[in-house]
Amino acid sequence: MLAGGFGHVLGGGAVWHALWATLIGIIIGALPGLTATMGVALLTTLTFGMGADKAMLVLVCVYVGAIYGGSRSAILLNIPGTPASAASTLDGYPLARQGLAGRAMGISTSGSWLGTLFGTAMLALFAPSFGEFALQFGSYEMFWVAMFGIVIAGSLSGGDALKGYIAGFIGLFVATVGQETNHAYARFAFGNADLAGGLGLLPVLVGVFGVAEVLSSMRGPAVKAVSSKIDSVIPRIRDVTQYWKTILRSGALGTFIGAMPGLGEDIAAWTSYAAAKRASAEREKFGKGSIEGLMAAETGESACVPGAIIPVLTLAVPGSAPAAVLMAAMMIHGLNPGPMLAISAPEFIYQIVAMLVIADMVKMFYGLVLVRPLLWILLIPRERLMPVVFVLCTVGAFAITSRLFDIWVMLGAGLVGFILRELRFPMAPLILGIVLGELLDKNLLRGLVLSGGDVTPFFTRPISMGLCALTLAAALWSVPGVSGLFRRRRADA
Amino acid sequence: MSEVEAESPFDGEKAPASPRADLVTAAVLLAFGLGIVAHSFQMPRFVEQSGTGLTAPGIVPGFHGTMIALLAILLGLRAARRGGWAARGPVAQGSGDGRRLALATGLGVLYAGVIVGRVPFWLASALFVFAFTAAFEWDQGPERRIRRLAEAALIGLGTGIAVMLVFEDLFLLRLP
Repeated sequence: MLAGGFGHVLGGGAVWHALWATLIGIIIGALPGLTATMGVALLTTLTFGMGADKAMLVLVCVYVGAIYGGSRSAILLNIPGTPASAASTLDGYPLARQGLAGRAMGISTSGSWLGTLFGTAMLALFAPSFGEFALQFGSYEMFWVAMFGIVIAGSLSGGDALKGYIAGFIGLFVATVGQETNHAYARFAFGNADLAGGLGLLPVLVGVFGVAEVLSSMRGPAVKAVSSKIDSVIPRIRDVTQYWKTILRSGALGTFIGAMPGLGEDIAAWTSYAAAKRASAEREKFGKGSIEGLMAAETGESACVPGAIIPVLTLAVPGSAPAAVLMAAMMIHGLNPGPMLAISAPEFIYQIVAMLVIADMVKMFYGLVLVRPLLWILLIPRERLMPVVFVLCTVGAFAITSRLFDIWVMLGAGLVGFILRELRFPMAPLILGIVLGELLDKNLLRGLVLSGGDVTPFFTRPISMGLCALTLAAALWSVPGVSGLFRRRRADA
Repeated sequence: MSEVEAESPFDGEKAPASPRADLVTAAVLLAFGLGIVAHSFQMPRFVEQSGTGLTAPGIVPGFHGTMIALLAILLGLRAARRGGWAARGPVAQGSGDGRRLALATGLGVLYAGVIVGRVPFWLASALFVFAFTAAFEWDQGPERRIRRLAEAALIGLGTGIAVMLVFEDLFLLRLP
């Protein structure tokens, strides 16, 4: 099946699509202010006219490229191109200041390449069997899956769990605007035909991640670009063999965190970095140009990408914000991610595996050849870049349904997203709420109808009970007193 | 997680919002949540069609509104405990220039909300990119200003034409 996946994906100009899409992804990731989520959302517009398989290849390449690209500016400018590469600044930039920018980029390339490869292997191994297990999930279980996603994303994605939960429920509310499925009643439409059609996912995403990014970027102080002398960027075998344990640990952590709903690449990178530091024999080098630290961060964030796609394919629950947009794009192209995928199109999982491997190979190629041109791109002033990004956001919001209303939705979502960011509300739970809103809505009502209004099946069916316990545990863990109690007990022991 | 967060180079950027800002936010969110609940109650229940009323359109948004209101109360209590009532000073905070933000927002709303749809998209985009770049580079002083303006015009024109060619002609998408 895996060979079939490669055979299917590699036909009809796939290499060409992979080359340009990964390049665009790397550039988007490298430019501070442009994130992987924004990149996948904007490129979704370009793929409307393509077949589903080509569109997915393009978007997977953009996703993989953007997460990797963020490390370029992290190493060369001490500015993470994407939030995911923030951990790479800690050791990447000190290495660059020591005149080892090329070596740092080589470490980043090899760590990222191995991380994605590791995560992809995990996806190929576990997604099919997990997909089959998910076939046992009914409405009750899917309701808890959606709730668990919101709670875990709220708890861990932004530091302030309370604000994370609020952001998640705001997202869930946004998803209820427009006609519901049972009675075609237009909720919160106030007689407006456009609102009755609902708030489009893509205009909202483009607003929250595109417009809000433009505003944040233009508000902040001017960024001074600094060039750096570049030595050889060829990855060294010794850097890989010496830190093989770190690579394996970071790959496993990154994939696991990716598979958790809504956590994403930045948490994967920070967690991998912290774990590597705890286990390292050369802990004192961390933060001063540690090869191991940079390798851990890069491997963790890149392993997270395939990890975040695992729940998309098996449960229709995204593991990260870019994966949420990727999932929306799958739906736009008529693919139905979720438990039924194991029956309706089991080969699709292997096609995604093939796409990830192709994207990873192309990423490695660019990692070796695309250093100096990228340095010039990094020096483009934001005063000239951001208006172009805003124009692309407008096109992206409009293109899917050709409604001017969607441009207003983008503007509104952008302004609200910007205000929420300024008030330190995390964005990942908000996006997860919008994406999971329909899943929660349908399954809660369907479950209640099936049980004749009895809520006990939500708590008594075996898998439901387990998911409910996990959700409650995640919620309780975010209560400072409870987590503090556990930490004290562990310290006492 | 605390150890991880302490190591972040963005601690300054991620400084928590002030208790006063949280208190005001909590009040707005409480009103928002209660508004959702009130509106959800007013929705029809469709009891005759479903027999049970369990498919009433207001159930799910009512649940979300209730949760937003409850969490807003918790946010407000936490902010009050941290001194939100006593604190003085601006509600909004964060590094950055408010004038630049207002300029970016104004130009963005003018472009996407007013000009787009009224003039050809390539022209609207060219004008927007030129105005945005020129406005933000104006403060860089009179030296080489003419050159910067000419470059801004070229970037604007290039963007307008490139967007039209790539999206409309190459990817066959409709532009506003």
